[in-house]
Amino acid sequence: MDYSPQRALELLRLGTLNPSAVFHPGQEEAIRHIVEGRGRLLVVQKTGWGKSLVYFIAARLLREQGSGPALLISPLLALMRNQIGAAERMGVRALTIHSENREAWPEVEAALARHEVDILLISPERLANDYFRSSVLGPVAMGIGLLVVDEAHCISDWGHDFRPHYRFIERLASNLPPNLRLLATTATANNRVLEDLQAVLGPDLAVSRGDLARPSLLLQTIRMPSQAERLAWLAERLPSIAGSGIIYTLTVRDALEVADWLRARGLIVEAYTSETGDRRVELEAALLANRVKALVATTALGMGFDKPDLAFVIHYQTPGSVVAYYQQVGRAGRALGAAHGVLLSGGEESEITDYFIENAFPTKEEVNAVLAALKASRDGLSVNEIMAQVNATKGRIDKALLLLSLESPAPVAKLDSKWRLAPTNLSDAFWQRAERLTALRREEQSQMQDYVRLTSGHMEFLIRALDGDPGDFHPPKLEPLPLTTSGAVVQDAVAFLRRTNLPIEPRERWPVGGLPRYQLKGMIAPEHRLQPGRILSVWGDAGWAELVRAGKYSDHHYSDELVAACVTLIKEWNLSPAPEWVCCIPSRRHPELVPDFARRLAEALHLPFHPVLEQTKDRPEQKLMVNSIQQARNVDGSLMIRGDSLLSGPVLLLDGMVASRWTLTLAAWLLRSHGSGPVYPLALASTTHRKP
Amino acid sequence: MNPLTSNTQAILLLTAPLLLGRGSSATDLLTLGEYNRLARMLRQKEKSPADLLGDSAEEILGWCSPRFDRARLEDLLGRGFLLSQAVQRWQGRGIWVVSRADAAYPRRLKARLKEDAPPLLYGSGEPSLLDTGGLAVVGSRNIDEATVTYANSIGRLTAEARLTLVSGGARGIDRAAMAGALSTDGKVVGIMADSMERAVVAHENREPLMQGRLALVSPYDPAAGFHVGNAMQRNKVIYALVDAALVVSADFQKGGTWEGAIEQLERLRLVPVFVRSDPSAGKGNVALLQRGGLSWPEPLTGFELAEAMRTGISDMAARPRQATLPFTLQEQAPSYPAKKPSVSDRKPPPSTSEGTEDKSQEE
Repeated sequence: MDYSPQRALELLRLGTLNPSAVFHPGQEEAIRHIVEGRGRLLVVQKTGWGKSLVYFIAARLLREQGSGPALLISPLLALMRNQIGAAERMGVRALTIHSENREAWPEVEAALARHEVDILLISPERLANDYFRSSVLGPVAMGIGLLVVDEAHCISDWGHDFRPHYRFIERLASNLPPNLRLLATTATANNRVLEDLQAVLGPDLAVSRGDLARPSLLLQTIRMPSQAERLAWLAERLPSIAGSGIIYTLTVRDALEVADWLRARGLIVEAYTSETGDRRVELEAALLANRVKALVATTALGMGFDKPDLAFVIHYQTPGSVVAYYQQVGRAGRALGAAHGVLLSGGEESEITDYFIENAFPTKEEVNAVLAALKASRDGLSVNEIMAQVNATKGRIDKALLLLSLESPAPVAKLDSKWRLAPTNLSDAFWQRAERLTALRREEQSQMQDYVRLTSGHMEFLIRALDGDPGDFHPPKLEPLPLTTSGAVVQDAVAFLRRTNLPIEPRERWPVGGLPRYQLKGMIAPEHRLQPGRILSVWGDAGWAELVRAGKYSDHHYSDELVAACVTLIKEWNLSPAPEWVCCIPSRRHPELVPDFARRLAEALHLPFHPVLEQTKDRPEQKLMVNSIQQARNVDGSLMIRGDSLLSGPVLLLDGMVASRWTLTLAAWLLRSHGSGPVYPLALASTTHRKP
Repeated sequence: MNPLTSNTQAILLLTAPLLLGRGSSATDLLTLGEYNRLARMLRQKEKSPADLLGDSAEEILGWCSPRFDRARLEDLLGRGFLLSQAVQRWQGRGIWVVSRADAAYPRRLKARLKEDAPPLLYGSGEPSLLDTGGLAVVGSRNIDEATVTYANSIGRLTAEARLTLVSGGARGIDRAAMAGALSTDGKVVGIMADSMERAVVAHENREPLMQGRLALVSPYDPAAGFHVGNAMQRNKVIYALVDAALVVSADFQKGGTWEGAIEQLERLRLVPVFVRSDPSAGKGNVALLQRGGLSWPEPLTGFELAEAMRTGISDMAARPRQATLPFTLQEQAPSYPAKKPSVSDRKPPPSTSEGTEDKSQEE
C-alpha cells in the first residue's frame, strides 16, 4: 500500500496535540516500512520514544486504504487505557478486549463486524484462550491486516519477564504466512533477545534500534536491610522531592504496608496492585494529574504507563533483573530535565526474588504426579479431580497444566473441560529450558546486587548490562538524596510494623467432598461457624513475625512480648460478647508450645484456660498439605473434644500458624456443637499472606 | 514439527475452513474444482500457490480475474492471522498437515486420485504408514456383536500377515477392525471423516500413535464435525491408499459403504474389492458380489490372507480395462506394491496440477 507522508504527519500532530510536532528519528521510517509492506519489523526503542504512535498511525493509514483492522497483543492493561486516549485523538478507533471487560465484548464484536475498528488491543492470555479464540476472536481473525506484538522481548527465553503465554505468541508468529504485516516492539532487547526474535520472526526481520541512555535520571542505590529504616527514609525524604512519582515494591503486601505507613505520616499516597481492581483507572488518573504524591505499586503498574513529568521512581526492594529495573526506573523524567531513580535494597528482597525464581516452574514431582494421574484415567480429569490425587496447590497444578499445554506438541490436551494425555511424551527440552531459565534468573539477580553496591556510574552499568553503548554519559545536575535517616522516625516505623494485624475470614462451606469422618459436607450451619478472627503477624514480615519465628524454631517457647502483643490486640479488638474462656489447637508434634502460650495469655486476660480439644492421632503437618482439598482431607477425623470442662460462654481459640483455616473451622464446629458460645480465632502468624 | 511450506500455507488459506473449535465459522472457500482450476492456471504461468503470498501476488490476482472474483481471493488470502492460530492449535495437539504440493504427500493418493486427491491432509502419528498399502476394511456403523467379533478377527489376521490395515475410524466395523489389528501389534491407518482432534487424544489411541503403529489422517479440518458428504469422499481416499479392500457389511443401495464400493467396482477400479459372502452378511453384500465384488475366501491365517490378496490383485491386473475409465487415461498405471522410492525420485506425476511446485520442494 502507499505511504502518504502528509497524512502521517497530520495524524502525528493530532495525536500529540502539537501542531508543529515532527517525527522522532526512526518513527517515520518504521511507519513507512509497515505501510508499504516491506517485511517484518522489530522496533527496539526506550519507553517514551513513541512506539504506540508508530502502530496507531500505521494502522490508520492501512485502514484508510481498505486493509483489515490491526491487532495489538499487549500484556498489561495500564498500557491499553493509557494509549487508547492518544489513539482517539488521531481518529484511530481502538477497542480493547480483556478478561475484565467481558460485558463489553458483544459491543466490540458488533463494532468489528461493522468494520468500525481500526485496532483491537488484547492480552496474550486472552489470545491463548481456546474459547476466546474460537468464539470471540474467530470471526475477526479472518481479516486482520497488521499484527503488532508489544513487549516482544517476552517471546524470547532471554527476555527478562517470563510470561508463559508468550510461548503461544512465539509459535503463532512463526506460523504467520509472509503476506501478513507484522510489527514487534520492545523497550529492551539485548543481543541474545534479538537473536531469538530473529529465529522466530525470520532472518529478514528489519530492526529499528535506538539508544538506551536516560540523561535526565539521577540514579542512586542505598542498602538498608531493615524495613523500618526504609519506611523511615521514605517518610523523611519524599516530602523534599518536587513532583509526583512511583514507589515500587515486590509484593502486594509490601505495597499496602508502605502506603499505610506513608498515609499515617500524612503523605498522600495510594497503593496500586494486581488487587486494585476497578480503582486502577482512577489511581492512574490521580498520578497523571499529580493529585497523589506517589502510587505505591507492584509491577501491575507497568510497561507503557506514560507520565512524561514523573519526578521520581523509588524502589523499596531490589527487582530481579536489570531489564526490569531499567524499564521501571526509566518511567521517571521522560520530559523533565532531571528526576530521581533511587533503589533501596532490603534484607528480605532476596527471599522474595528467590520465591519468584523457584516458583516460575512446577517441580518434576508435581509434573510427574499430574501426568501419572492423567495416565491412569480413561476419560480425563478435571482440575478438582487432579487436586484430589496430587498434593500441590491449585495454583501449582494450574501452572503445571498451563506450561505443559503450551508445549508443542503438548503432552496434555483439554477436551470438554477435562484434561487428557495427548500422544506425546514430555520432552527433556522442557526441563532443560526450565533449568536454563532458572540459571539465567539467578545471574540477573546477582547482577542487580552488583548494581546495589555501585557508588558511581549507575547509568553506564545499566546500559552495558543491556548490550548498549554508554558513550559519554553525563547525569543531570541534581542534588542526590541523603543516604541516611533519623533514629526517631525509625522507632516510629518499628512501632508501626508491630501494629499491623490481619483478619481471619470464617469459612462458610465444608471442602469439596466434605469431611466424611464427621459426616460433614455442604454449607456450614451459621451457628457452627467461626467468628471473624485475627492474626497477629505475617510470617516473614518485620515486626512480631520475627519473634514468632524465634519462638517456634529456636526458643521453642513464645516470648512474653508476644503475650503482651496479643493482650493489646484483644483489647483493641473490643469483642462483644467478650470471650469468657480460652482454648487452643493441640499438636502432638509440639505438645507444649501453643498450650503454654494460651495458658499465659489466659492468665494475662484473667480468663480460665480449658484445653478441651485433642488431636486423635499423629498426622502429617498441615503445612505439608498444600492444596485446600488435601488440607481438608488431612483434617478429617483429626480432632475430638476431651473431658467435660468445656464452658458454654464465648471462647478465644488460639493457634500458632494459620494457612487454610480448616483446622480452626473444624475446631469451631466441635466446640459449638458441644455447647460452647461463639468461637473467636486468634493466630500468631499467617503463612499465606506474604506470597508475592 | 516443521513449519509449513509457503505452498501449504497458501493452499490452507484458499481451501481450508481453519476451524478454531466449535462455534467458529468458515468463509467462501474454494471448492476442490475451483482450486484445481486455479492450480492449473498458476502452472501455466509457471507460478506456484506460494507466489500468492509474495511480491507477485498482485500480478497473479490480475490474471485470475475475472475467472475468480478478486475480492474473494483477497479475503481468503487475508486470513493469515487465522491460519497461524489454526496451525498453532494443530501443532499443539501433535497434528501435522501436508498439501498436494509437498513431497511428503502420500504418493498413492496423488498418483491414483490425480485432481481428486484432497489438496490437504491432516494427520497424527507416523505419516510413512500411508505409503505402505495394505488392506482396507469397510462396513456399516451399526453392527451386531458377531460382526464386531468378525471385523476384529480380520484386523488381527491383517496384522499377522504384516500388512497395514486401513479403515475409516468410525464406530462399528472400522473401529472393531482397527482394534483387532492394534491388539496384534499391527500397523493401522485410520482415515477420519470427522472429529480427528478428539480421536487423537482418545485413551486407546495414545500408545499406538506414540509407537508409530497408528496414523490418524483426515482430508477434513481436525475440528470438523460429522457430515455425510465428507464420509463419502473419505472412502475414495481409503481405497486409493491400499492394495485391496474388503467390504464386511454394506447396506443395500444406500450409505457410504455401498456407494464407495460401487464407485470402485464400476468406475475407479483402483483395487480389487472383496466382499464378505457369508449368508449372514446381508442383501447389500449379495448385490455387491453380483456387481463384480470378489468373494472373500475367509482366510484363517495371516499367510492365507496375504495369498488371497495377491490372487485378487493379479486377477484384476489380468482384466481388460475400459477406455472410459479415468484411471486408464494415464500413460501408465502405477503398479503396487512398488519399491519405495528414495526422496530424490519423488517427482509428482506429470499430470498433477502442482507440477511447478517441485522447485520449492528442492530448496
